Amino acid sequence: MTASESLPSASHTIDEFVKGYEEGGRLRGFRCSNCGLITATWGLACSRCGKSTLEETELSPRGKVAAFTILTVPGEEFLNEAPYAYVVVDLDGGGRVTGWMPSVRAEHEVEIGDRVRYVSSYKSGVQFVKDAPTTNPG
Amino acid sequence: MRETWVVGAAANRFGKMKDSSREAATRVSLEAIRQSGLEPKDIGYTFVSNCFGISEHQAHLGPLINNGLGIPHVPSATIESACSSSSAALHEAFVHVAGGFADAALVVGVEKLSHLDTLTATSYFAIAADYPFETKNGATFPGLYATLASAYRQAFPTRPEMFGAVAIKNHANAARNPHAHFQKEITMETYLSSPVIASPLRLYDCCPFSDGAAAVVVAAKEFVKSPVTEPLVVRASARSGSVTDMQDRPDLLGLPATRLAAEKAFRQAKLEPKDIDFLEVHDCFTIAEVLALEDLGFVPKGTGAKAEFDGVTARDGKLPTNTSGGLKAKGHPVSATGASQVVEIFEQMNGLAKGREVAKAETALAHNVGATGGSCSVHIFSRR
Repeated sequence: MTASESLPSASHTIDEFVKGYEEGGRLRGFRCSNCGLITATWGLACSRCGKSTLEETELSPRGKVAAFTILTVPGEEFLNEAPYAYVVVDLDGGGRVTGWMPSVRAEHEVEIGDRVRYVSSYKSGVQFVKDAPTTNPG
Repeated sequence: MRETWVVGAAANRFGKMKDSSREAATRVSLEAIRQSGLEPKDIGYTFVSNCFGISEHQAHLGPLINNGLGIPHVPSATIESACSSSSAALHEAFVHVAGGFADAALVVGVEKLSHLDTLTATSYFAIAADYPFETKNGATFPGLYATLASAYRQAFPTRPEMFGAVAIKNHANAARNPHAHFQKEITMETYLSSPVIASPLRLYDCCPFSDGAAAVVVAAKEFVKSPVTEPLVVRASARSGSVTDMQDRPDLLGLPATRLAAEKAFRQAKLEPKDIDFLEVHDCFTIAEVLALEDLGFVPKGTGAKAEFDGVTARDGKLPTNTSGGLKAKGHPVSATGASQVVEIFEQMNGLAKGREVAKAETALAHNVGATGGSCSVHIFSRR
């Protein structure tokens, strides 16, 4: 970082990110005003171009499944939730997020490319549900 | 830079240790030092890896090990890089010896998890992922590799038997390795009928939770003079990093950290993949071995799973891979894994790998990944 670069505008904390998912919050993230990277992962500088030009942004709640798994053996915090899908989602406006889908419990219930929608969850974590296909994504 | 050798390497039997991490680490360290022909007082620095020592109420293991070896004045430090911890420690030892800051250095990795229940152990493993952005979103360690397997399966024609071939081969190798956790062969039927843990990964796609300890002694060529074993010349010691989160990776068909570390290592060694006789790669899950073969440059992208099924990686194949049994069947005591890969290469090159020898053991590569690829080590060794 050079002296002339201003401090990053990203001021929110990881806690605010995570609590936001529980409290009816929007899906939040950052956009790099230098290279255009969109990310949901907290940071002070862009993981692609290295510039501290991240600006807070709201991410699109809709997207497509890029990869998934059905977890039958969960970790401690999801003990009573299995089986469920863990998904990597390409958001319509750019950027990827990972999340979980409690409504998807078997492999034949989801495919790569399926449309999904973020919903605020009673439980921590980014939660998705299946979304109706649309002819005009984004 | 000084020419640097691995002059001793030792491991215990992976699986379930009665010993504490402290006891096991001290025992394998002394064994590796004795094997090298050096004495504990020759060690100039001890690098320890022990990710989950806190579960044994013990951190700061280095001074305790050194004390047990009779060298309490020797400096030590703990190096943590998740599953690639002890290969990271090896890199630090290499830097110290090659750079002239120590004539000889001890690397020891140890892990004990068998006193924990499966749920606690699963949760411990998951904290090496991004806790708020992956684990809190429902990820487990098998789950993260399973998403990579799902992307792979979508992009390339893959049958379950192709992943199964990795498991069967590594179990067959482990059955011939006295250090291995699992010493039994499995059939395709056993593989296919094992329960799904994180689709498409089945139980037999996954490495076990293992206890274990492994130690490596590195020393400057000019310090050793007349080695008592066949030393491994460290031709490359390369490390890399990568964005940690799956959500920040544009490409899910491989691990960028592996590609970067491999490029660095081959450049450092002035070698190419065709020069490597056999390799130990990071196969925490079968998909990980497939991705490693491709990302290291041994087979073209998308052909790794088929190469496994076709026997390319068998002991008598063109590219013997994980003759130790790998993480998959030798076991994966997290912080001991990287050092244990070097133990296998050392045993192969010293004619100690009885019953699982490779045809040619002149040059070998070791590949060790931290968690889902936030960090990676690639080492290349050859005989003098």
